[in-house]
Amino acid sequence: MDPVTIGETLAALMFFGVIGFLLLGFPVAFTLAGVSLLFGSVGMAFGVFDPSNFGSLPSRYIGFMTNEVLVAVPLFIFMGVMLERSQIAEQLLLTMSKLFGNLRGGLGLSVILVGAMLAASTGVVGATVVTMGLISLPAMLRAGYDPKLATGVICASGTLGQIIPPSTVLIFMGDMLSGINSQVQMAKGNFAPVPVSVGDLFAGALLPGILLVSLYLMFVIFKAVTDPASCPATPVPPEEKGALLGEVFTALLPPLCLILAVLGSILGGIATPTEAASVGAVGAMLLAALRWRLTFSILRETVIATATITSMVFVILLGASVFSIVFRMMGGDNLVHEFLSNLPGGTLAAVAVVMIIMFFLGFILDTFEIIFIVIPITAPVLLAMDVDPVWLGVLVGVNLQTSFLTPPFGFALFYLRGVAPADLPTSAIYRGILPFVVLQIVAIAILFIFPGIVTWLPRLIAG
Amino acid sequence: MRFIAGLAAVICAVNLVIGKTFAWLSLAIVAVCFTVVVQRYLFAISHVWMQDLYIWLNGAMFTAVAGFALLRDDHVRVDIFYRPAKMRTKALSDLLGVFLFLLPFTWVVYTYSMPFVQRAWGYHEASANVGGMPGLFILKTFIIAFAVMISLQGVAMAIRSILVLSGNAALVPKSIQYGPDRGPDHPQGAV
Amino acid sequence: QGNITWRMVTTWPKNFPGLGVGAQRLADRITAASGGRLTVQVYSAGELVPPLQALDAVIDGSAEMSHGAAYYWQNKSPALSFFTGVPYGMTTPELTAWIRFLGGQELWDEIYDQFGVQGFLSGNTGTQAGGWFRDELTSLEDLKGIRFRTPGLGGRVWEKLGATVTNMAAGEIFQALQSGTLDAAEFVGPYNDLALGFYQVAKNYYMPSFVESGLATELVVDKKKYQELPSDLQAIIRDVSQAEYDMVSSDFIANDPRALKTLVDDHGVIVRQFPDDIMEAGAKASVEVIEELRNSDDPLVKKTTESFIEALNLVRTRTEQIDAPYTAAREKYLKY
Ligand code: NA
Ligand code: NA
Repeated sequence: MDPVTIGETLAALMFFGVIGFLLLGFPVAFTLAGVSLLFGSVGMAFGVFDPSNFGSLPSRYIGFMTNEVLVAVPLFIFMGVMLERSQIAEQLLLTMSKLFGNLRGGLGLSVILVGAMLAASTGVVGATVVTMGLISLPAMLRAGYDPKLATGVICASGTLGQIIPPSTVLIFMGDMLSGINSQVQMAKGNFAPVPVSVGDLFAGALLPGILLVSLYLMFVIFKAVTDPASCPATPVPPEEKGALLGEVFTALLPPLCLILAVLGSILGGIATPTEAASVGAVGAMLLAALRWRLTFSILRETVIATATITSMVFVILLGASVFSIVFRMMGGDNLVHEFLSNLPGGTLAAVAVVMIIMFFLGFILDTFEIIFIVIPITAPVLLAMDVDPVWLGVLVGVNLQTSFLTPPFGFALFYLRGVAPADLPTSAIYRGILPFVVLQIVAIAILFIFPGIVTWLPRLIAG
Repeated sequence: MRFIAGLAAVICAVNLVIGKTFAWLSLAIVAVCFTVVVQRYLFAISHVWMQDLYIWLNGAMFTAVAGFALLRDDHVRVDIFYRPAKMRTKALSDLLGVFLFLLPFTWVVYTYSMPFVQRAWGYHEASANVGGMPGLFILKTFIIAFAVMISLQGVAMAIRSILVLSGNAALVPKSIQYGPDRGPDHPQGAV
Repeated sequence: QGNITWRMVTTWPKNFPGLGVGAQRLADRITAASGGRLTVQVYSAGELVPPLQALDAVIDGSAEMSHGAAYYWQNKSPALSFFTGVPYGMTTPELTAWIRFLGGQELWDEIYDQFGVQGFLSGNTGTQAGGWFRDELTSLEDLKGIRFRTPGLGGRVWEKLGATVTNMAAGEIFQALQSGTLDAAEFVGPYNDLALGFYQVAKNYYMPSFVESGLATELVVDKKKYQELPSDLQAIIRDVSQAEYDMVSSDFIANDPRALKTLVDDHGVIVRQFPDDIMEAGAKASVEVIEELRNSDDPLVKKTTESFIEALNLVRTRTEQIDAPYTAAREKYLKY
């Protein structure tokens, strides 16, 4: 066999090998790197991989450590964790459920709306699911909600943080896509490509996020109409009604203002996502301080959670670098290029295939592994086929949001299981999420057919 | 067995202290970045070194805290089979993972980064931006620290596996004992 | 000995006018001239390592060559700025003369020796444009607090003139100008600036850049691997770089004026000269910046600065007494 074929075969085997070895359950970041090293050694034995390529590892690492765009990640995580630990999120949920409780399905609607609001303040999904699971699930079950509907609503709304800006996934995606896009466009001779930034992806994701929220809301309303027993009303006692207005002002308005300020300054092009994130983090501390909750212990919990979550994500990036060096230098890029560009059906078929692969990877992997592995090897090909980078990024975002919801490995399901009452069967959670997974697929299909939903706002902002 | 259990305990203690200390850099990132924003938008002043600083703090933080995160089992796993597995199975999987994946990875990082870092020390490399931060060589050293802290914690994991597999699970340091499902108090994995 | 493949990393995007194109052409010419005995495979900015890690990639052995600009590595030695260009520095022919005949290359080799690499001139953008300003400048006063994008030692000079200076990558400048994060920006010259679309957001195009005259690019090779090559391959690398230096320079000389015509005729750009007080204050600030290097504790930095100043004082007599009067006269009297 000629060296090119050996290299490409090894690269392909490595891709599937990584997925297989990940099932061992060892931390993903190290499995990715370790498996790549194993295949790299085999490649060395066949003379198709030169270990001196690892000399670029420290350069890449220092590149991540001094990356201006990616600093937004810890800042947004800080903001989200602070809002959650200082129980601002909790207050929001209680107030909102009182506002809508009188309606049939009202608790469900309030969970979706609060999920959307929290999503607009942070990218931390786990915390949102847990908070809503702890507070809303018991309330909904007490009110006589169908456990399937209750858990489905909470899981789905809790993961909106991943797609409604700001979102850590979109930050990483923006950083990767802007580099890939400028390379691809210049290679094609287009020296003034419309730049892609994290801000563009945020703007592009806003309407799709609202689309998802609307789909969820419509589903709950549909249930309330066709199956009233699944989501009964929870009348608010009259004596609490008087205090409600005050609560709205204290619990709802301050975080709403913070969210609008942060998102508005990014989408309005006034500040970069990183700058806005630092203002958001300080704002979250201020809100906590106003409630006398900016204690040393809350601050300590927040910094530890921020640091470890940030580290977890970046270390996956470090591990994935080893994968991409070995994959690329063994010729895997050519393989992907030939596969995607020779599909019958052209560009849209190529995008669809990548989306389907990502969707199925989502059953076993988590968002970050998927984007760090799949985007660098497929996006150059897709962007060279004139796929709009913002559309691609947002489509991937919505697609991967689904990975939080798909069993067996869906973070949202797992976190909700952790806080749900023991007598609630796990199968209820799994069955409850099904309609929402269908809604996700509907959303992806809508965005696929009407790309303008994604591209309209960024273009409007860019003028 | 007691000796290796003690070794694991020492490693964990080191990573705990480092992790809990460097985690505060996240607050420093907020503070410095916010200061830069206030200076730029309210007073139209900017300092290149401050723009470097908060970015670098993130690099220092996520590398320094990585070993601590591994200790806390915050690094995400694909745990379809791992989570429901018996303790011995988990121990076996971790043992394999440490020797097959983790240590080779950190060895490669260490080997290929050492010359890079030593060179930076050789000329006390500063920021590539004129007027930027001094001490880029220190930031680069965090790559080595990352490899070392992760390796050490990997060794502690291997020790835990050996203790569990040899029937000495009780000797495992408390901070890394295999527990029941960790429940909702650590909603870390999903971001 | 069989055929060899070398990896070249660049700090430019693929096909970037003038520079990225030049890097690729240089690689292809080495491959062709050696009859395929030395094949050079180009990895453009970010493909293998981030653009500003290109030199480290060569030093660490993950690439054999890099194509970039020496002043990107000023944190390895501040003296490296001289081999790209410094504020109020040399023009293209002057810089070439210093490096080839007046001791520049020897000092450059001495600096790069510490890192086990060797540098060759590989291209030159000529004197660059001063920058895109949203508002017209009438005097030095107008620069106070203005937010301006410019990198390197030039940034220091602009700071001394009162500007708030930031550096950002080429791809980010347009948006920053558009959103008002920047009031003004400079990149290279008409050929590249037209491509990046700055005319859409700022109409006042100031000439010339007094901080970036005659900016040279470099080809860096792993010195040990270079010396292990047969002498004909070494000669090919050296001579192709030299040939490419002239090709890239001519590319800019030919295409800058074409691009400028498009900017003015099709996009309504107004070409302006900086007011005299800005040019004068710029010179004063440039001297301060260079004097800091002359007073460096590092003997090599000191020595390079002195060699540069000595050469500048020599070659400027030719430029100022022969070329300048000629171009001034031609501008004044010659009409076709
Ligand atoms: Na979000
Ligand atoms: Na999943």
